Amino acid sequence: MAIEVERQVLPLFEIEDRSRWYNPDLPETDPFVPGHRTCAGCGPAIEYRLHLKAAEDHSIAIGPTGCMYVANSSYMCTPYSIPWAHTPIASGGSFTSGVAAGYEAMIRKGKYQGKYPNIICMSGDGSASDIGLGSVSGMLYRNHDALLICYDNEQYANTGIQTSPTSPYGAMTTFTPPGPKIPEGKKLWPKEVAKMMAEGHPWCYVATSTVGYPIDLMNKTRKGLNFRGAAFMQVYAPCQKGFVYQTPLTIELGKMVVECGLFPVWEYDPETRSYDYFIPEQQHLVIEYLKLQGRFGHLSGEHIAKIQASANQKWEMIGAGVPADFRAAEDPAYYVRRGIDKAGAAATEKAKAW
Amino acid sequence: MAVRAEAGPARGNAVRVSGCTAAALAAKYADVDVVTAYPIRPYTAIMMTLAQMIANGELDAEYIHADGEHAQLSAALGAGSAGARAFTGSSGVGITFAYELYSFISGARIPIHMAVADRTLDPPGDFGSEHTDALCTRDMGWLMGWASTPQEVFDKTLMAYRMGEDHRVLLPQMVCQDGYFVSHISGEVELPDPAQVEEFLPPYKLPYALDPNLPVSHGAQIMPEQGPPLQLSRARAMEEAVPVMRQVTDRFGEVFGRRYPHFIEEYRLDDAEIAFFIQGAHAVTARGVVDRLRDLGVRIGMARLLWFRPFPTEDAQKALSHLKAVGTVETNLGLGGATSGGVLSLDLAAALYPLAERPLLTSFMAGMGGEAVPSHEFHWMASKLQQVVREGRIEKMTHWVGFEE
Repeated sequence: MAIEVERQVLPLFEIEDRSRWYNPDLPETDPFVPGHRTCAGCGPAIEYRLHLKAAEDHSIAIGPTGCMYVANSSYMCTPYSIPWAHTPIASGGSFTSGVAAGYEAMIRKGKYQGKYPNIICMSGDGSASDIGLGSVSGMLYRNHDALLICYDNEQYANTGIQTSPTSPYGAMTTFTPPGPKIPEGKKLWPKEVAKMMAEGHPWCYVATSTVGYPIDLMNKTRKGLNFRGAAFMQVYAPCQKGFVYQTPLTIELGKMVVECGLFPVWEYDPETRSYDYFIPEQQHLVIEYLKLQGRFGHLSGEHIAKIQASANQKWEMIGAGVPADFRAAEDPAYYVRRGIDKAGAAATEKAKAW
Repeated sequence: MAVRAEAGPARGNAVRVSGCTAAALAAKYADVDVVTAYPIRPYTAIMMTLAQMIANGELDAEYIHADGEHAQLSAALGAGSAGARAFTGSSGVGITFAYELYSFISGARIPIHMAVADRTLDPPGDFGSEHTDALCTRDMGWLMGWASTPQEVFDKTLMAYRMGEDHRVLLPQMVCQDGYFVSHISGEVELPDPAQVEEFLPPYKLPYALDPNLPVSHGAQIMPEQGPPLQLSRARAMEEAVPVMRQVTDRFGEVFGRRYPHFIEEYRLDDAEIAFFIQGAHAVTARGVVDRLRDLGVRIGMARLLWFRPFPTEDAQKALSHLKAVGTVETNLGLGGATSGGVLSLDLAAALYPLAERPLLTSFMAGMGGEAVPSHEFHWMASKLQQVVREGRIEKMTHWVGFEE
């Protein structure tokens, strides 16, 4: 006789009137405890804490190799007060599938007494969009009741800042260094991982968010966990070491990337098969975002113009207006007129001298 | 048959099935919770059979269609880590595609089970049985053995779960059968009474499962100086496994009435001068040739290896030290090795070397690519061993059967 599997339902947090009071409805529990070795201002560590706070204690965390493994999870002092397991970097989705299937079977067959746990896999962008892409797709395809999160710091950061498929065009990484022959550094455009997951697995809950919107991030975590089936989230989480910015700006960058149109925040509803795009109150030129980070210091007007054009396409995609100034900034001459064009070349010279 | 099959208590019933079906039946009797599958010949038939059993309601298990063997083993590891009994398997290049996971799973000390039907590695594409695929993983910390009949596949699968899940061991297991020679040829399999299985194989209880009621961290990052004790504990578990495997084999005989030797089947070795050292399906042919040569007055025997990992050094010494010449039948490729042959003889030579009195050793590359090893080839090998005894020295360490006079 099969036993019915009891699943958890987590309430969502209030978003309205948020400015009047500071998160009084957040759970006290903090399954991501202090004591790890991540850098000051680490975006993924802040993100991880929010996800696990939202998931609460009857949860299991799974960590394919990446920063959140190596910098976070040292032997004898891992920062998890819930069960956690490391997996090979390409095994995030498949290991998670095994845990989910294991619990389904054990509860159904009376071998485990208790509710079905919240199962969360935290894959870096290298794991989720590159070496473990098939593994993630397999998990979504099979629709296991689990949430796979791509914490997107836009690079292989743990190995010393190498380009990943989500590293933006023009980013300087140790595998895409700018030089006289390749002045822009990275020449390729990033994969849109979450879109790929939503379009290819339309029965799954898929959402994007950033560390700049903590309540949005936590609510989407809960929606993904409450969803009966597989869920996927891609969350922008800056890496101070690789982006090269002032440490206190992590959360600020999480907002700026959205307000500059480079990382659309949205939610995909598998029932209506439609996207709900978040349109920020403020819109900025991409250069406002780029100038905060050393990894873009080498870019000239020609490259910035291309990035602005890609942002404008995204503004159109999410249904936001594209201001006239943003259109003008698609022209390299825009930067020449403002004396910005040579800045990149000068920065490259400076970097070489250094 | 050297494996004594006693009548035993008159319970259960016999069926005539292939090695693949026997493996699937064993998984069913073990009441596995999670099956992870990906198709590759010839082991696929195991997973096809399990899929049908689940569809028929004969087995209650989650069936994961993995996106490749790497994912297949990862999912089995995930299920095993959660505390579920997991079953997976593969063949040939499928086994090597998943290579990252072998050390990972034994190091995580998650006792999942993998059913292997051997297949030659590419290139070129070859369906035939060669043991190179599974043997590639031999030093990764898995219990590993070869079955030579469907009955033995069934029995070994149950035994392997019991051995690997023992809290003194906690290691994954690989039970191998030759592709086609065992996997696709029917043999009689005595099916037990479920009560017998219940008596022999207790429910899987991982002491450190991923359970929110008792949080644990698996596989945390270490500093190099923390490495040695962890590696030592895995090595010790492999050593600890030897006495446990003996106990489990004996217990299996008590419960099911089929009494297997612990590690090595000693066939007509007592007064022998020469012997084959072999594992897998071709032992069936070798046994027949031994009988025939015995009729002709040749003092020959056969030592069949039932478990290759952990390697039974003590048993090999006991079984073979009194012989004059031993020829390892290698159905595997160990390119560029010390003998320029296969890998079995390397372990055997190391095991016998400390003995003051030991046989001369040579080896035979036979059945490569999955070609059958007919009787006349065993006769040829026996004549080479007789020549070694006559001359008191080996001609060479490795003979390629069929390529020499």
